[in-house]
Amino acid sequence: MGPPPVVTGISPKEGPPGTRVIVRGEFLGSRAQDLIGLTICGCDCLLSAEWKSQNKIIARSGPCKGRGDIIVTTRSGGQGTSTVQFRGYHETIGPMKESAVWVEEAPMQSFVWGRRALSPTNYQQEDPLGLSVEGNEKKFPEDELIELFGDGSGELASDKFHPGWFLLQHHHATTLDDLKAGLAYLRRKVHSQKEGQLSFLKANVGSVMEQLDTIVLLKEQFESDVQKHGSDPTTKLEKAIKESMAEANKLFDDVLARRDRADATRNALSLMQRYRFLFCMPVNIEKNIKRGNYDLVINDYARVKNLFGNTEVEVFKRVLVEIDERIGKLRNMLHKKLEEMPATLDEQKKIIRNMVNLEAEGDPAWDAIVSHARHLEKSITACVHEHLESESAGGDDSSKTPKSNGSTPMSVKQLRLYKNDINNAPVRVLCVEAICDVVMEQLPDLWRLGQSYFTGQLHVTVDIEKQIPFKNLVLSGMQHAANAMKSSCSSNLEASWLLYNLRCVRQMYASLIHLDLPNEALDIFGKFIFDLRFQCMAALFKQTAENIGALHRKETWQMECLYEDGGITRLPSLFEEMIMEVSKLSRETAVACGPREGPLLAGSAYQALYHNAVRTLFTSFARCLRQLAFSGSEDAMEDEEPSVSQLIASPTGYRTRDNKQHGPTWEQCLLISLSNIRYTLNTVLPRVVEFLKAQGYPELSTAVGWSSDWTELENLDAAVLDAYLERRCDPLVGTIEPSMYLGGLEWDSEVEPTHIRPYAQEALANLIAVHAEVRRVSPSLLKRVLSHIVETIAEELARLMSCVTKFGPSGIIQARADITLLSKALSRYSTPRARSFFEEALDVIPPPRNKEDASRIEALLFKVTRTMRLQLSCLTDQKPDNIIVEGIDSDRTTTVTIQILKFVGG
Amino acid sequence: MSKKPGATQALHKVIMVGSGGVGKSALTLQFMYDEFVEDYEPTKADSYRKKVVLDGEEVQIDILDTAGQEDYAAIRDNYFRSGEGFLCVFSITEDDSFQATQEFREQILRVKNDENIPFLLVGNKSDLQEKRKVSLADAQARSQQWGVPYVETSAKTRENVDKVFFDLMREIRSRKIEDKSASNGRGKDRAKRKKKKCIIL
Repeated sequence: MGPPPVVTGISPKEGPPGTRVIVRGEFLGSRAQDLIGLTICGCDCLLSAEWKSQNKIIARSGPCKGRGDIIVTTRSGGQGTSTVQFRGYHETIGPMKESAVWVEEAPMQSFVWGRRALSPTNYQQEDPLGLSVEGNEKKFPEDELIELFGDGSGELASDKFHPGWFLLQHHHATTLDDLKAGLAYLRRKVHSQKEGQLSFLKANVGSVMEQLDTIVLLKEQFESDVQKHGSDPTTKLEKAIKESMAEANKLFDDVLARRDRADATRNALSLMQRYRFLFCMPVNIEKNIKRGNYDLVINDYARVKNLFGNTEVEVFKRVLVEIDERIGKLRNMLHKKLEEMPATLDEQKKIIRNMVNLEAEGDPAWDAIVSHARHLEKSITACVHEHLESESAGGDDSSKTPKSNGSTPMSVKQLRLYKNDINNAPVRVLCVEAICDVVMEQLPDLWRLGQSYFTGQLHVTVDIEKQIPFKNLVLSGMQHAANAMKSSCSSNLEASWLLYNLRCVRQMYASLIHLDLPNEALDIFGKFIFDLRFQCMAALFKQTAENIGALHRKETWQMECLYEDGGITRLPSLFEEMIMEVSKLSRETAVACGPREGPLLAGSAYQALYHNAVRTLFTSFARCLRQLAFSGSEDAMEDEEPSVSQLIASPTGYRTRDNKQHGPTWEQCLLISLSNIRYTLNTVLPRVVEFLKAQGYPELSTAVGWSSDWTELENLDAAVLDAYLERRCDPLVGTIEPSMYLGGLEWDSEVEPTHIRPYAQEALANLIAVHAEVRRVSPSLLKRVLSHIVETIAEELARLMSCVTKFGPSGIIQARADITLLSKALSRYSTPRARSFFEEALDVIPPPRNKEDASRIEALLFKVTRTMRLQLSCLTDQKPDNIIVEGIDSDRTTTVTIQILKFVGG
Repeated sequence: MSKKPGATQALHKVIMVGSGGVGKSALTLQFMYDEFVEDYEPTKADSYRKKVVLDGEEVQIDILDTAGQEDYAAIRDNYFRSGEGFLCVFSITEDDSFQATQEFREQILRVKNDENIPFLLVGNKSDLQEKRKVSLADAQARSQQWGVPYVETSAKTRENVDKVFFDLMREIRSRKIEDKSASNGRGKDRAKRKKKKCIIL
């Protein structure tokens, strides 16, 4: 606790209530909050106190009267003391005092000491005894006075004035001497006043008389006036006063009326001001609606409803009606806006919230859902309409493009690249894409809106029964979209666009999966996607099949690679590559399962379709090969000449080579095709089967008709071989007879045989040519081809021999040597049938007549064998084979050798 | 204030007189609270009282700071009557205020009816020497004429502030002791004085 406050100064020390007082002292509080009390003369002045410093407080005095201490109370020092006093007084208003109050002046005229224009303050302080009051600070206690004198008073002017009270109050400390002096003073004063009046009159008799005269004059004048103007001159005056009063009243009435009006206007204005919120409401609503501040409008509306909802005031009611009207309009507008599409989910939610807040009738959220769904359906329809319309309008373009695209073969790689070229996309593809976009954009919103509706997030009373209609809405919307897309996809679109569509749809599907849609709904798209996937796959395979069909353009007839049994062209490997690629692509796209998708090829029906698709690839390849193989046939036919002996004219195949086209002859083509077919059958097919299996496709071997020439290649193989044989065999065999009888030679002529006959040599040479031709393409075909030719040759020889009517001895030798040599030379490619033909031919020829002949035949054979050693080795020995392949690397040599050994062994 | 300390402790009543704006309140506040007030606010009538130690004796000094303005001239009589000692202040920078001291002196003498009333002539604002209008000689001449001390003070620098109050209190104290010794004849004196005055009137 600090030291108590002490007030040691007051400025001013006296004053009427409300005087600004500076209180000074010590320890008047450490800060403003420390000051907790201030009384001046017992009046609490804390409210007006302004703490300045520890030494200074400024305050205003209260309605106190008389002297009193200034007591400061602080939190830190408690209640304080005062060394100085403040005197409060109530100012008596006098004529000399400036005042805001009307003061009646008349009584002041008759004031006792009227001539001394004393200020009331001075008068009050004047002591009637002429003694100083200042010394009498020690007051006589008032209660004692009351005790002594009852209801008396010390006030000089009071009716109950009691001299005793007065003396005790003011002079109880005055010495007797002073009191005596005072009494003398008082007496003297009274005396002088009494004396004064008389002596005054005496001294001024003249002027008094003069005044009397004047009064008499006045009286006479007055009386004459009365005579002149009547006894009562005031009537006129009264009338005038009344008139003026009436006039004044009139004036005042006017003024008052105006004032009343002004007051009324002011009241109205202030009322408007006070309820400005309400009155401005309609305008504000309009303004805020324009700005889109619906929240503000709703808030205001709620406030208005709260404040004035139950108002009885007519004006307010009118305004309320107007406001209600606007709000109604707003509701309608919001409702329309809600149905307006497109709108974002947030916007819609906001509007719904607004409408709920506006207590709109009906179920705005449900309306929004319905309109959303309707919009979805509508926009899908619009999408379809727009695209299909443009398709039909620009029908020429759209129908042309696919055709041109379809006619140009495209590799699978091109298919992939083609996707980027979206600008040229067919309308239907765009349509599907657009629908996907629409669904992706709107369905989530619809679904979420529904979710938030049913979870009560929209602050709407949830109608549980609407869940089923909602579901139906969603389902029908999705079904509609799916149908639209299906119809767009159903027409013959290219695989690339289908893939593009698939991608779009899948993207949409994925986005829908995230939405927690019911399975039922997802399945709609799931099924569609499944169909689309299959369609994609089928289209891919179909496209590839077409491309494969067009492969024949690529045939250059260049032998590209040598495999164990011979050469092939690029085609089989191209074919294989294409299959691999398409299978890979379709696996990556269509067959691969996306999220929430089932395996594509699970069902047996789909497997069969798949098998068919693969089979189509092969059959189309077969077709292609067939086309290739027989493409040269027409040319060859043109070149066809009657088969004549080579000894007369050179054989067709070799003659035309130089001056005609540089490509291979048809026969070579046939051979190459044959080789390709074999390669495809033996190597490519198993590889493809393995590859597809590895890719996760169903087993091919389970396909229907797998065992019976599934690929149609076997069939083709046979046909091609036949064609070739026909081409090679017929001329070869056909020349034997003419050559045999060339130059009029007959079997019965006596010519010493020195060599085998030219026809045999020719046949041999031709055979070697064929052998060479075949071998160049594919050694593995040698056996198949040559054995057939040999068989024919043998048959021809047998026929020819049997037709011979007569053999001469040398003819016998010749014939035997010929046949024997041929049968020996061709033994390697002789089938049992051929051998039997040879034997038959030999049987027809009569046996040699004697031993000599027989030995001659032997000698001849030996000789011919020696001279024709080279030719013969072509057809028989394995050595030349070895020689031929010697240039090639050792690995290959061994395998080839093994192959040949096998043949020999077989 | 309660009566007990007042009864035991000597109370010296000092009254500040002088023209408006010479620095009566400034001197008072400087003496009372060591505070120099710069802004001028005309005084009506302020009252200050505090304990001081005068030559080892604890006494109370009561200062009545009066209004210098002529408006209040009428009520001065009442105040002067209760004064025991007077500090008649003028500003050395203002000749009028110096001239006015004559009038105040006369009024005091008339009210107190006592030639030897404790009285000090104070020339304030001694810090403003450059603006001096009243020469030291003139002031001293007047004080000698009246038979009172003359002191120059500065309420701003507190020069001689304590001195004037304490000097005056000492005079009052010695005057009171004088009066006490002649207390018996005091009433008569006063009566005489009054009578004299009446005769004059």
